[in-house]
This record gives sequence, structure tokens and C-alpha cells, in this order.
Amino acid sequence: MITLAIDTSTARTSVAITSDGKILYSAHHDDALAHGEVLPGLVRDALTTAPVIDQVVVGMGPGPFTGLRVGIAFAQSLALARNIPWIGICSLDAIAASIEEKEFMVTTDARRKEVFAAHYVDGKRLASPIVCAPSQIESMKLPIHGEYSHEFPDATKLAKLAEGETFIEPIYVRRPDAYPAPAGVKFRPMNAMDLVTVYAIEKVAYKEDPWSLAQFKEELKAKNRWYIVAEFENQVIGYAGALTNGDAVDVLTLTVSPEHRRKGIGRELLRRLIDWSRNKKVAAIMLEMRVGNSEAYPLYLANGFVPLQERKNYYGPGVHATVMRKELT
Amino acid sequence: MSQPLILGIETSCDETAVGIVRGRTLLANVISSSVSEHARFGGVVPEIASRAHLEAMPNVLEQALSEANVSLKDIDAFAVTAGPGLIGALLVGVSSASALSVALDKPIYGVNHLSAHIAVDALNSEHALKPTIALLVSGGHSSILQVNDISSDVKVMGSTMDDAAGEAFDKISRLLELGFPGGPAIDKAARAGNRDAIDFPRGLTHPNDQETHAYDFSFSGLKTAVSRYLQQTPNSVRADVAASFQESVVDVLVTKALAACKKSGIDSLVIAGGVAANSRLREMAQERSEKAGLELRIPAMGLCTDNGAMVAALGSIAVASGKEPSSLGFAANSAAGLDQVIW
Repeated sequence: MITLAIDTSTARTSVAITSDGKILYSAHHDDALAHGEVLPGLVRDALTTAPVIDQVVVGMGPGPFTGLRVGIAFAQSLALARNIPWIGICSLDAIAASIEEKEFMVTTDARRKEVFAAHYVDGKRLASPIVCAPSQIESMKLPIHGEYSHEFPDATKLAKLAEGETFIEPIYVRRPDAYPAPAGVKFRPMNAMDLVTVYAIEKVAYKEDPWSLAQFKEELKAKNRWYIVAEFENQVIGYAGALTNGDAVDVLTLTVSPEHRRKGIGRELLRRLIDWSRNKKVAAIMLEMRVGNSEAYPLYLANGFVPLQERKNYYGPGVHATVMRKELT
Repeated sequence: MSQPLILGIETSCDETAVGIVRGRTLLANVISSSVSEHARFGGVVPEIASRAHLEAMPNVLEQALSEANVSLKDIDAFAVTAGPGLIGALLVGVSSASALSVALDKPIYGVNHLSAHIAVDALNSEHALKPTIALLVSGGHSSILQVNDISSDVKVMGSTMDDAAGEAFDKISRLLELGFPGGPAIDKAARAGNRDAIDFPRGLTHPNDQETHAYDFSFSGLKTAVSRYLQQTPNSVRADVAASFQESVVDVLVTKALAACKKSGIDSLVIAGGVAANSRLREMAQERSEKAGLELRIPAMGLCTDNGAMVAALGSIAVASGKEPSSLGFAANSAAGLDQVIW
């Protein structure tokens, strides 16, 4: 039985071909953002070594969704094209398979300061994988193996695992964090015609030190910026802007008109800035927030921003700023 | 030698679609939509769309092959939408197509979604592929394009400054309580109405707009005007409002598309995208094109919205015009512009 094995559940893309336990091909590439670019070439190389295969085994996660789906979509279409079966296994099992201890935890990076984790005793997984804070796993006082100790799913072990518990659907663990977009609110790039309303909101929101109309005009024209507005019934009710600055994006402003707050508009503006930053392939997105801004702080925390440091008197005498940063890689 | 057999995959938004063409002949066009799963969120949720693509892909592929009565081994080349679109959604299609290409050792072409909407015009017709002006109007796009060569040279002459035309239909339909999607609902209501009843504004048609926005669109002023009219006219006739609103949108679309033909000296116009299904748009475009001596083509209804046949059609044109296939492992680009037609 010749098996093509694929796993894209971690930052590592791994491909192997095994024949009844014998390794005919094994290769991997480490890049959390490049599964789609790397996988086809690795499989082509693998098939040069062993052109005829009998089955495809693929890691079904858990893992960051976009990369995970690259491997699964590839495996199922390849199996369809070759008219052979494909079998899904738990990717954490493919890490555990290389570990000889009696009892241990396996964790992989789930992003957003969380880990995917599973508990193993005598080589068997005790329950379905979970997603949780790393501290929760550490508190179990067991040896921890996995992505943080540079242990990845071993593709050469996948064929053997296919004889055990198999999965036909991705092991997502997390639900899609879909929520209704604020009803009737539209988001679009800011243009010069918005500036009068934007400035009116700015003056109300930042009584002490609003940007001037001239500053907004300058900003709209400046390079590497992106400004968007939220609009309700043809009226601008909020806006946000960001700047690419080397390997990071700086949030320049994120403002919602006071009467429209607490409706998810700020969250939606922030989400768009984060998406934009991801598309720019920068390492992080950063922002400064007035110390004591109790409305904005939970929004940033919930979206994965971590407070880094305080900048004294950033907004004027006695008005300090907290610098927050969200890693995107 | 028979014409090449091309399979096209489209997963840029919420439709998982596979089309198969031989040369310029359409053999299969299968679409599975996750639109109903998004309805309660008021828009397409990327993660839900991506999950649905992965689930639907094998069935949609198999159904398309069976409809075309061919097997995967017969396919000469694969084409797939590589952008623009939702990145997680695009990657499912690109990975599937790459796997087919690797497994069967056949070339793969990553293609531009917007160009594909226009390329679908080449299907089931004998006309020579010559330069044309394209009016691309859907729920996501409203642009006028100068298509010198669909596989290599497309210029954007104008696009919308705010809403896409399809979005404007949805919003006015909501105001008139005609339901969703708004395009067909307004089209239907308008048939019983008088399109000259209310003189709604035509966006960006002022003489001053000729210099900077001759081929751009804006529908936000029109929306405001309709909304204000409804507030100020308690006993307004809904059919008249629908007909007059539709007339305003269609008039601007057709006027600017024809102006683009005149300006560029190109005597052929293609209307593509979901809004191309609007009956008044079809009628007015037909009348005015005839008067202006232009050749007008509008794809069949099922080929106007997102589909796989259009991707296969563009792939087929790329093969026929001797374009290099994409190199394996090309990167999907969620924000691709029209300068990137074949990856």
C-alpha cells in the first residue's frame, strides 16, 4: 500500500510518501502563510519519486482554518483525480506518534493567544482536541509537546494513523466568529466629500485635541494610508484609518459618532483594518489608545491586541497613551 | 484536432462553481451556493463561505463532469479564479485546481474573476474576439472597461464611487418592501409602473463631471432622492417609484457605456454581471446600441452571475492564444486588479 501523506495544520507544510512503513519521500517547508504556494510543488516532487499511489492521508486539524483547508482541498481533489480513497486523521495524533512518554499534552498554535490541545496517555488521545489559553494546559503540570518545542505533525506517520480513528470533516474546534453586521450600515473608502461630516464627529469625539480639517485632507492624500467610513442612511457615522509603516500597520484613528456607539460599528471598522493589514502581509498591527479609554480597551483586547507599554503625555500634558500590538503572523 | 477541453473552478465568494467548455462550446455549468447560510448575517461571512466551498467541491466537480459527459482524464487544462475575492474562499478553489493539475499532469491557469465575467461572452458564439467595451454590473462591481484583448489588455475606464448597481437595487427594494434580491423584484414591479412618473437624478452626469468622472458611477444621491420622495409623498405609487428608479440607473449605465464606445472608437459593447439580467437594461441597451450602430452582446442569464463556465471560458481563450500556464504554487490575490488577468 503506497500512501501520499499531507499535513497543513501548523506553520509547517509536510508531505511524505510511504510504502508499508518504508519512507519513499519526505519533505517539509516552514511558513505559516504559504501552504497554498508550497504544497503543490512538494506533492509534484513526491509523485516524481513514486508516480503511482494507492491512497491519500491528510491531517484534518485542528489548525488555523485557511492553511488547514489548503491541505484538505488538495487531498480530496487529488484523490478524486486519481480515483483513490482519501482518509483524514487528527493532526495532533501525528505529533503524538513520535513521542514515547507515558502521559503528555500536545499543543499547536491556534492564533489569538490560544492553543489547540489534546491529552495523551499510553499513546492514546483521551478526548477530542480543544482550544484554550496556554496557561490552562500549563496548569496540568504534564510534559507539553508540539509547535512551541518545534515538534510538528510527522507526515511519515500518517499512513499508520489511518488505520485508527479517521475524520471526514475538518476538526475546526472553533466556530466561525460570525455575527450579524450592523444592520443597514455600509463601509466604504473615505473620500473628500466625507470630510465635513468626519470633522464634525472628530470635534465631538476628541474635544481636547481634534485633528483639523486640513490634517484630514493631508491624510487622505498621503501615501500608504487607508481611510474608511461607516455610513448609515447616507450619513457618515464613523471612520477609521491606518498606515503601513515598514513591517507593521499603525492604526491612526478609529472613531464612532457618540450616538452610534455600542452597536458593533467600531468592531466592524477594526475588523476591516485588520483584514487590510493581513493583505499587506505585515507582521503586526499596532495602535495607541488614551489611557483610561474604557470603551475602546475591551474591543482591542477581544481582537487580540496586547498592551505593550505606556507613552507618557502622548496626547498632551497628563494624557498618556497605551501602545497595543496584535501579531498577524 | 478537436478543441481543447477546459475545466474552470470558481470559489471567490459564496458560489462553489465548476464549468466545462470545449473551445468556445459550453458543456457544463454547475453552481452550489451558500447564500442562504449568509442571509441572517446580512452579507457573506467569509469563514462560512470557505467551509461550504470545501464541503461542496467534490460533488460540484463530479456533477459537472457527468453533465459534460467527460472524465477528469480527458481535461486538457484547468482554470481557476485566483482573485479578486475572499482569500480563504479563493484558496479552496486554487488548492483543488492545483491538485487536479498535479495529479493528472495537466497545465493550470489562475485567472482574474472580473475578466472571466467578460470572457463568458465568447461562449456558444462564433464572433471574432475583437476589442470591445464592457459594462460590468453586479452586486459587487460596476465598471466600464476597455477590453482590447481579454487575456492581456483590459483598461478600467470608470467604476462606481459608492455602491455597485446591484447594491442600489437591493437597497431601494428594501425601502419599497419588495424583498430580496432587489434586482428581479424591482424589475417585476417596474413593469406595472410609469418610468417617466418621477424625474430622479442621474448620478455623475452633470457637464462638470465630464472631465473627471465621465465613465464613473454614483448611486448614493439617487438612493437619497428615492428615500426622500417616499417620505414626502405619502400616497406614492410603488410601481411608478420602482420604474422611475430603475430608469435612472439603467439610463446612466447605458449612456456612459455608449459614451465609452464613442470615445474609444470601439463599436462593440458587452454587458456582463448579475445586473445584466435586468429586462429594462437589456431593452434600452438594445435600442440605443442599434441607433448608434453598435454591436451589443449580453450573456445568457445563467452565465451573468458568478459561475465556473466563465472561468473555463477565459482559460480556454488563454490556451487558444498561446498564453503560458501559471507556475504551480501561484498565490491567490484577494485584491487583484485587471492588470493581472492570467497568473
